[in-house]
Amino acid sequence: MLCAAILLTGVLCGFVVQADELPQNNYMIHCQGCHLPDGAGKPPDVPSFTGQLAEFLRVEGGRAYLVQVPGTANALLDDQAVAKLLNWMVERFNQRTLPADFIPYTASEVTHYRSQVLADPGARRATLLERLSLLH
Amino acid sequence: MKLVDRWVERSVRGVAQRTSRRHFMSRLGVLLVGGSVLPLLPVARSNESSVADLPDDASLEGTAGDPRSCNYWRHCAIDGAPCSCCGGSQTACPPGTELSAITWIGTCRNPGNGKNYIISYNDCCGKSTCGRCMCFRSEGDKPIYVPQKSNDINWCQGTNSNIYHCTIAAVIGQSADE
Repeated sequence: MLCAAILLTGVLCGFVVQADELPQNNYMIHCQGCHLPDGAGKPPDVPSFTGQLAEFLRVEGGRAYLVQVPGTANALLDDQAVAKLLNWMVERFNQRTLPADFIPYTASEVTHYRSQVLADPGARRATLLERLSLLH
Repeated sequence: MKLVDRWVERSVRGVAQRTSRRHFMSRLGVLLVGGSVLPLLPVARSNESSVADLPDDASLEGTAGDPRSCNYWRHCAIDGAPCSCCGGSQTACPPGTELSAITWIGTCRNPGNGKNYIISYNDCCGKSTCGRCMCFRSEGDKPIYVPQKSNDINWCQGTNSNIYHCTIAAVIGQSADE
């Protein structure tokens, strides 16, 4: 609480949170150019993250898709950094919709999914959205 | 209706009795002058002021601190015309052009303190190419098959027009040293 108060004034505690800033840095360098600082994107060309990213976690194949989508799979980041970045993103953009039983991505999991290259990401996305629409 | 009329009259007279016109004029003056002195419009500048430890450009040696030069430290990955040469600045588009929110992002090392900063190379769009001070440094630029890290594609996307005019170089954060 005290730390939060000090953080609000933007003076101290900066060094404490430094370690967690890496995913945010990677987001800025590798994602936000298109998906924008607030994750809003520019639908339909640039998908929005806000409220939508974690939706994919609710359907079969969705967890893998977030790693296999070309923007993630082809990012110039190692698997550990991708895992940390994805965990940060779903928390940051989907605080309310993130499934309660969400298990954070691990580096080895990212390695596994990343090795399976999607031949047609658009078709996979459509399939997953179809599965999602059946949930509602 | 009469009640409303009476109430409005009473409250207006009350205000007139309690405050002076000079007081109002002085407040209005402060608002007008203050508004013109403080930079209210440029979007990127507010972000830059929150970037920690950003050395002042004036303290840098040679053209590394000159936004109109291709050697300007922020231009390490630029491919195009810096808006500072085109009637804008390193953080603002020239009048009559539209800032593209979708952009390519890289990092540049500041020679003042040796730290890396995240630079957003937003294109300004909607007028024909400015063409002044054309720069091509492209450090860290990737081939076009890595589109998110390539500066060879037209980043005037999501704008009303995709005609390229010039490029800004806004500092959006300090890069964590890995």
